[in-house]
Amino acid sequence: MPHFVELKQVKKLYQMGEVTISAVDGIDFQINRGEFVVIVGPSGAGKTTVLNILGGMDTCTSGEVWVDGKNIGQFRPRQLTAYRRDDIGFVFQFYNLIQNLTALENVELALQICKNPLNAEEVLEEVGLGERKSNFPAQLSGGEQQRVAIARALAKNPKLLLCDEPTGALDYLTGKAILKLLQDTCRERNMTVIVITHNSAIAPMADRVIRIKNGKVSRETVNEKPVSVETIEW
Amino acid sequence: MKKKALRKDFYMEIRRTLNRFLSIFLITALGVAFFSGVRAAKPDMRLSADAFYDESNLMDIRVMSTLGMTKEDLEAIQAVEGVKEVMPSYSVDVFCELPEERLNIQVMSLPDKMNRICVMQGRLPKTDQECLVDHNLTTSGKCRIGDTLVLKSGTEDPLSDALREEAFTVVGSGTTSYYMSLDRGTTSIGSGSLDGFLVVPASAFSMDYYTQICVTAEGAFELTCYTQEYDSLVDELAERLEGMEKERCEIRYADIQEEGQEKIAEAEAEVADGEQKLLDAGEELADARAKLEDARIKLADGQQELADGERELAEHERDLADARQKVADGWKDLNHGKNKLDLEAIKVQNGRTEYQQKKAELDAGYAQLAQSDGEKAKLEEQLAQVEAGIAAVEQTIQNLPESTPEAERQQWEAQLAGLKENKEKIKAGLAQISQAKAELDAGAGALAQAKAQLDKGSDEIEAGYRKLLDAEQELRDAEAEIADGEIKLADGQTELADARVKLADAEAEFAEAEEKLLDGEREYEKARLESEETIADAKIKIEDAKKELADLDFPEWYVLDRQYIQTYVEYGNDADRIGAIGEVFPAIFFLVAALVSLTTMTRMVEEQRTQIGTMKALGYGKGAIASKYIFYALFSSLLGSLFGLAAGQKFLPAVIISAYQILYNNLPTTLTPFNLWYSVTASAAAVACTTLAAWAACWKELNAVPAELMRPAAPKAGKRVFLEVLPFLWRRLNFSMKATVRNLVRYKKRFFMTVFGIASCMALLLVGFGLKDSILYIGSGQFGNVFVYDGSIGLDKDADEEEKEAFWEAVQEDERIAVCMEARENAVDVEAGGSPRSAYLVVPKTPEDMADFICLRDRESREAYTLDEDGVIVTEKLAKLLGVSKGDTIVLKEDDTKQVEAVISHITENYFMHYVYMSGGLYEKLYGKTPEWNQVFLKNVQNDEAFEDQMQADYMEMEAVSDVTFVSGTAQRVADMLKSMDLIIYVLVAAAGLLAFVVLYNLNNINISERKRELATLKVLGFFDGEVSSYVNRENILLTLIGTGAGVFLGMALHRFIIVTAEVDMLMFGRMIAGKSYLYSILITFAFSAVVNGVMFFKLRGIDMIESLKSVE
Repeated sequence: MPHFVELKQVKKLYQMGEVTISAVDGIDFQINRGEFVVIVGPSGAGKTTVLNILGGMDTCTSGEVWVDGKNIGQFRPRQLTAYRRDDIGFVFQFYNLIQNLTALENVELALQICKNPLNAEEVLEEVGLGERKSNFPAQLSGGEQQRVAIARALAKNPKLLLCDEPTGALDYLTGKAILKLLQDTCRERNMTVIVITHNSAIAPMADRVIRIKNGKVSRETVNEKPVSVETIEW
Repeated sequence: MKKKALRKDFYMEIRRTLNRFLSIFLITALGVAFFSGVRAAKPDMRLSADAFYDESNLMDIRVMSTLGMTKEDLEAIQAVEGVKEVMPSYSVDVFCELPEERLNIQVMSLPDKMNRICVMQGRLPKTDQECLVDHNLTTSGKCRIGDTLVLKSGTEDPLSDALREEAFTVVGSGTTSYYMSLDRGTTSIGSGSLDGFLVVPASAFSMDYYTQICVTAEGAFELTCYTQEYDSLVDELAERLEGMEKERCEIRYADIQEEGQEKIAEAEAEVADGEQKLLDAGEELADARAKLEDARIKLADGQQELADGERELAEHERDLADARQKVADGWKDLNHGKNKLDLEAIKVQNGRTEYQQKKAELDAGYAQLAQSDGEKAKLEEQLAQVEAGIAAVEQTIQNLPESTPEAERQQWEAQLAGLKENKEKIKAGLAQISQAKAELDAGAGALAQAKAQLDKGSDEIEAGYRKLLDAEQELRDAEAEIADGEIKLADGQTELADARVKLADAEAEFAEAEEKLLDGEREYEKARLESEETIADAKIKIEDAKKELADLDFPEWYVLDRQYIQTYVEYGNDADRIGAIGEVFPAIFFLVAALVSLTTMTRMVEEQRTQIGTMKALGYGKGAIASKYIFYALFSSLLGSLFGLAAGQKFLPAVIISAYQILYNNLPTTLTPFNLWYSVTASAAAVACTTLAAWAACWKELNAVPAELMRPAAPKAGKRVFLEVLPFLWRRLNFSMKATVRNLVRYKKRFFMTVFGIASCMALLLVGFGLKDSILYIGSGQFGNVFVYDGSIGLDKDADEEEKEAFWEAVQEDERIAVCMEARENAVDVEAGGSPRSAYLVVPKTPEDMADFICLRDRESREAYTLDEDGVIVTEKLAKLLGVSKGDTIVLKEDDTKQVEAVISHITENYFMHYVYMSGGLYEKLYGKTPEWNQVFLKNVQNDEAFEDQMQADYMEMEAVSDVTFVSGTAQRVADMLKSMDLIIYVLVAAAGLLAFVVLYNLNNINISERKRELATLKVLGFFDGEVSSYVNRENILLTLIGTGAGVFLGMALHRFIIVTAEVDMLMFGRMIAGKSYLYSILITFAFSAVVNGVMFFKLRGIDMIESLKSVE
């Protein structure tokens, strides 16, 4: 069975005047459908770049990026947009909610454009924000905002949920709750979730852990028995 | 900035944000350029004109008089204080016959000191036979250099009254500053408008007075025309000149009277001379005639004499013949008498014989008688017996008794009877004897007589023979006499023949003399008739001249300054119009520019929040930190201002003036000096606005603690909008509309700025198009809706009844006229407390027909008004200027002495000039007399130019007609006059576009950069580029719609303001904007907005998701 996600020798080079800087320098890894993947690495290791490439927000300089049988590395901008729209859910560190829309509306905003969305209210209900759905982002706490962001990503019913430091701006408990939500989502919906973090402490909760250093995969481990996030302390 | 690092940061900032720097630079430049440029246009227009006028030394004032100006006037004017130079000039309006057309030309004397002609081709005229023509005429190909122009008088007076020559050779063409545009003004001849001018040397004029005296004012050259200073300087001089009017006019009047009297006296003397001569000639002729008559009498006498002589001679002849006849008769008688006498002598012989015989017989008778005497005695005895018997018987009878028987008695009786018978017989016997005796006696007497006779006869015969001898002698004498007479007769005949010859001679002579006299008389008659005619003519002329002299109006001076030069005034009005536009438009630009700079600077400071915090944390003072932004603003706005000043003040006025040069084609120069006042005010305001905006933006940030600044600014919280309170409405909006509405409300500053920007754009466009509508409406409204008549004919007030009748007849019969109405129209001054306004009083003869000719109605409600006897109807602008409304009282003045008061019953729509309408009844009531109809309004069956030209020509020929005007001509002129408006509209459209673009672009830019994160999120979520831009554009479209809506109202208000500011007293612009103009304005605004949104699409596509989402700045 081919892997759901497969990166082959993906490189990303930035030309800065005379100097060529490689943010990602030949990354290879595979991910199976329904896995909860954690990509860890220090700042500047190239993990966000990998995520961006995977999420269709950036293109790679060379290499192949296979997602569900398609090489998105060869996509043109418009195809990439369609890919983001239909196949990808994004969760950011700073939530990136539209301030002017209520929680529900932020979810609905994403639903406007995708093919077979979930019910926005149900999804909000599932992330535990049934009561706050008509609040504006500014009226919500960071955790709640991140839940909205997750709900927005989930409601699109994506093939791949990508989370870039989802707990980075959150306090410990809230962060945990968010990770729990992601883990549960993965398990319950059989969704492939990739979480980027610099916090290697949460690695045990993942099905697969990919460590990146200096633009390369330094180590890739598969947890046969991932633990629940509640049991992890950091 | 002493600190090096800060300085470096400042320069780096500019380099890094060159876009922002440039945008402030540009918007400031635009604002300042428009502000100072459009405002400078008015003074620049004036300066350009002034330079042109100064170059040709255009006169400041010209003085004209109804009786012309003299050399003495010239000297007197020269002596007036404040007069710099004077120049007399001649001019006359004439016809110039070209092969294709007849031109109305003003011939003027070549000016020397002022009003100098600018020679475009060829040279100035040098001799009296040369001329320079209007450059317009050569450019339009009507004449060329080298042509000879033949002029004809435009009036009844011969051309020689004005000009010495009739034909002039064109030696050059040129222009004069007197005419700046193509229009050459009006004239009293022909069609009424001049086609051009002709310059000839002054010596070519034969007038004995100047047409006008041109004057320049001391110090006016240095001033700029159209300015207050210039106007008041010239006004003062004009007043001084008017001050001497009375004196000069009296002198002129007296001169003319004197001259006229002299001329009349001369003419009268001449006439008297002529009459005398005629009289003399008549007398001479009469003398001759008298002599001829004498001669005729003498001749008649001669003839008479001759006739007498002839008659005498004839008498003589006849006498002679008579005498001859007599003599012949005498001889005959003589012979006859002799014969008779011989016969008598024989008879006497015979008588004697008979006598002898008879004597014998008688003697025998006597013898017998003597025998019978015895018988007689017997008889007498018998008788006595018988008588006795008778007496006895009778006695017996008587004595017979009675008883005597009858028989007896009868016997007796018978006896008696017998007796008596005897007696008778006896008596008869006796008588016989006496008779015989008597017979014998008678015979004896007769015989004695016969014997005496015989004796006498013999004597007589004897005497006869003697007489015969005498007669014979006499006859012989007579014969001698006759012979004598015959000799005399012959003599007389000779004499008579002589006399006849003489008489014939005399007759011939006389005939000749008569012939001569007749000739003379005929000649005289002819001469008399002729000279009588000329004398009569001369007398009429003298009478006319006398009347004219008596009627001669006291001269009046016209002291006309440049305000009476049509193009000067028009150009000034145009400059004022630009000035009025300059009052408003640049202000809008400026306001928008200031707002844009403010937003930009605020955004800049907001973006640099973290940096400000860092600086503060590092311990930099507020001043040092703020100076970066303040200097940034100062630099950009100052540079922008300078650029704007240069571009605006050099470029914009030049564009505007060169646009007007299409109209004022003579204006050669475009002066666009820097206007210090506008430069300083505009720059200072622009720089101050931007810098203060920067300072204000910093202020807020600088007061915050560094830690707060280091934290990212909390994004603006989302809010529910008022619409959500109305769920029925809110629910109906789709999702993106909800987002759009929320966003609009969220960024209020942007909302208002954008709306304001778009509204300004819309307003500018609307004003531009609206101005054109309004101004054109003067023509179409006045001459299409208000004055619905086609033309009018002014009647000459001096025309006599006959002429008027002829005119009316022509009008009645003219099939070209559909309807006509008589009216009275005269100029009045209208007053209501304040200063008076000139208007025309119109009194229709038949007010019920008024609607066919002049539409009286309310401008807004269109309610039609009719004239009644209670009040007058005045035009809208007049009412506004006087500050009166319905029900108020106004004073109508014809001159200082004649004034009436009238109540306003209605105020009517009107756009051109002022009118007061009054019914005839009210006129009578107010003025106490029936109005004198002097105007005829016409409605014609056709309106084309050729038709109207023909009609004008036809009616102008009539004595009773003083002028013929057509509405279509006036409407066309107004439309032409306002063509220059097109350019202003293009400028406005361009300006509006620029404004819309700058504002929308800038605000969109700020908006996008402010919301970069949000937009990047959308992109990450998988929004296509089109969807992202439509997310933003929806807002822009909504803003454009709102802005356009607001712009309609702003535009209407602005339009109204400009219209009211820009319109001159004489006019009322249309107050409405055509629907078409709204449509164009809206479409153009949308187009500008669409262009900006199009540009924004690429900007949105360029947003980098990764960069935007990396971190919070």
